Amino acid sequence: MTRQAARGHAHLWFVGPALFLMFAILLLPIAVAAGLSVTDYGLGNLSNEFVGLQNYERIFTRSTYEKMFGATFRYVGVVVPVSVALGLGAALLIHSLGRMGDLYKTIYFLPVMAALIAMAIVWEFALHPTIGYVNRGLELSCGTVLERLSFFAEGCDRTFPLWLTDRDTAIWTVAFIGVWQGFGFNMVLYLAGLTGIPRELYHAAEMDGARSAWERFRLVTWPMLGPTTVFVVTISIIRSFQVFDMVEAFYPQGGGPSKSVYVMMFAIYEKGVQQNLMGIGAAITVVFLGFVMVLTLLQRRLIERRTHYV
Amino acid sequence: MAEAATLTMRGIAKAFGATPVLHDVDLEVRAGEFLTLVGPSGCGKSTLLRILAGLEAADAGTVSIGGRDVTGVRAADRDLAMVFQSYALYPHLSVAANMATPLVQRELSAFGRLPVVGPLISRGARKRIAARVEEAAEILEIHTLLERKPGQLSGGQRQRVALGRAMVREPVAFLMDEPLSNLDAALRVHMRAELAALHRRLQRSFVYVTHDQAEALTLSDRMAVMRGGRILQLGAPDEVYNDPATLEVALFIGSPRINTLPGETDGAGRVSRMGVPLPLRAVDGRAGPATVAMRPEHLAVRSFPSPDGLTGRLTYAENLGADVYLHLAVGDGAHVVIARAEPQVAARLSSGDDVHVEQVRGQALVFDARGDRMALAEEAAAVEAVA
Repeated sequence: MTRQAARGHAHLWFVGPALFLMFAILLLPIAVAAGLSVTDYGLGNLSNEFVGLQNYERIFTRSTYEKMFGATFRYVGVVVPVSVALGLGAALLIHSLGRMGDLYKTIYFLPVMAALIAMAIVWEFALHPTIGYVNRGLELSCGTVLERLSFFAEGCDRTFPLWLTDRDTAIWTVAFIGVWQGFGFNMVLYLAGLTGIPRELYHAAEMDGARSAWERFRLVTWPMLGPTTVFVVTISIIRSFQVFDMVEAFYPQGGGPSKSVYVMMFAIYEKGVQQNLMGIGAAITVVFLGFVMVLTLLQRRLIERRTHYV
Repeated sequence: MAEAATLTMRGIAKAFGATPVLHDVDLEVRAGEFLTLVGPSGCGKSTLLRILAGLEAADAGTVSIGGRDVTGVRAADRDLAMVFQSYALYPHLSVAANMATPLVQRELSAFGRLPVVGPLISRGARKRIAARVEEAAEILEIHTLLERKPGQLSGGQRQRVALGRAMVREPVAFLMDEPLSNLDAALRVHMRAELAALHRRLQRSFVYVTHDQAEALTLSDRMAVMRGGRILQLGAPDEVYNDPATLEVALFIGSPRINTLPGETDGAGRVSRMGVPLPLRAVDGRAGPATVAMRPEHLAVRSFPSPDGLTGRLTYAENLGADVYLHLAVGDGAHVVIARAEPQVAARLSSGDDVHVEQVRGQALVFDARGDRMALAEEAAAVEAVA
């Protein structure tokens, strides 16, 4: 082989390993999933048939999947804005503290580090309708002025909410735990963003007459956190779409009261693994990927262009 | 339009933790003057400026602006403008919006500043603000850049935007914290001239912090030389240069550095330099070691050694085009004396030659052991005239 030829192929050796890995562990599985999603494949089946878009048709027409979308979007719709806002709020408060900041940082970050399965058991006890300390704490209000509020009046009269076992409250309770578990992570990202803001900008804002904390936030902090916010929101969306372990821990059988907590990841697991309906499981996976993809691209187009100051 | 105001600081002290930064500093900036705080890094000059601005609180002392005590008043309410070393422009706002910020913050109501409805409510006020921004931009020649973001500008352009943001509001005084130190050498000289012109035009008090003595000498009406948290000397540039109060000031101001040689004074005040008596006599006749200092440009090359001149071996000739600075090793090479020479004179010399120099202009400065300037008797001037 001549030297020119050797040099001509050198670039392939450099990008080759990365390209191979990307195909083997990213693109190929997605392609396989997409392929399976148009069949009625099940593990161990000797033959499988091409069923066209039937699986997708089911996803968008059957009421089970309507519930799946409902639960997923409720969860994402609550957890993303609340955990981003709480993460930012906690970061701002901790950033303004001196030494105590590290303590709070650790406290808020603990749920992120803890195993969610273990935490789910604790929450299950805490939220137990009769012996959980949440409802027992609420019962303490009976007979006090708080009873004038309709929530307490109804609770004392009959029963306080059943939280995880009531189909009206279950998804919101799960979302609350999702926020509790996730906002510490956003807080850490925002804290990193806050330390990157030059102090001189705040001084400039003060000299320019920005007197209130709100004006300083609007003029300096929020715009300077723009790139961090893009990242935090994207990560939060992806993480919320992926919620699974908590649902599996609370409701091993079938996604909560009247399937009100039947989130997408759980549906994929139930269909594809538990019921061995690979075709429909793969179809949900593709839809799931589509959502995350669309939201991420939207983010990039709408926000990132405005927040990266060249 | 506010009048230029006198800025007064009395007994300012400041320590960061256990480290004292300023010791009992008094400073008065006259209305409309260009005052420079100059000193090496860590001398407390920036801290003093920030205390004047209100961005930092002093541990002791008072600050007043135009006769009003503002010691406890926050920076936003002191009606000052500041230009920062890093320019501190808002990276997400266009040049026009950056320059308009001080006006928007101060002149629009809270409703007028609201994001979407604000511009509708305060359309008239915003038009006036835009006109003033335009006007300032014309003066600084950045009116073609108004729509750009700071990230798309060069260092010099950012500098102008920072100046523009300070200018639009017409504050009582401008504070500048090393505003030119991030620019390249040529641009720095250019901006120096523009700043001087801007000061003449605006007729406001300028307080300017720099570590560059050339900026201090060229720009100031008066300059305060600081070191170790104290103002060593405050005066017009000529005065500080020609008549430094202490050895530290003499060493800091002037490039190349003033030459210093060990000497002593006897009981009658007669001054000798490296054992050689000089025709100088200190008024205060104390015997003791002294330092004799001579500006390089006050020395001239002579063909023959003179009784009170110096002789040294030429180690290096620093050619600056118009002038050549000769580095001479005197006293067996223990000391270096730098003398300015004309290129024609220097051309005749080569490394290793013995060169004779003599004080031909001005007067040698004598400092006592503590570094304080010693007053010299009048007769010395007469002796110098004869020489």
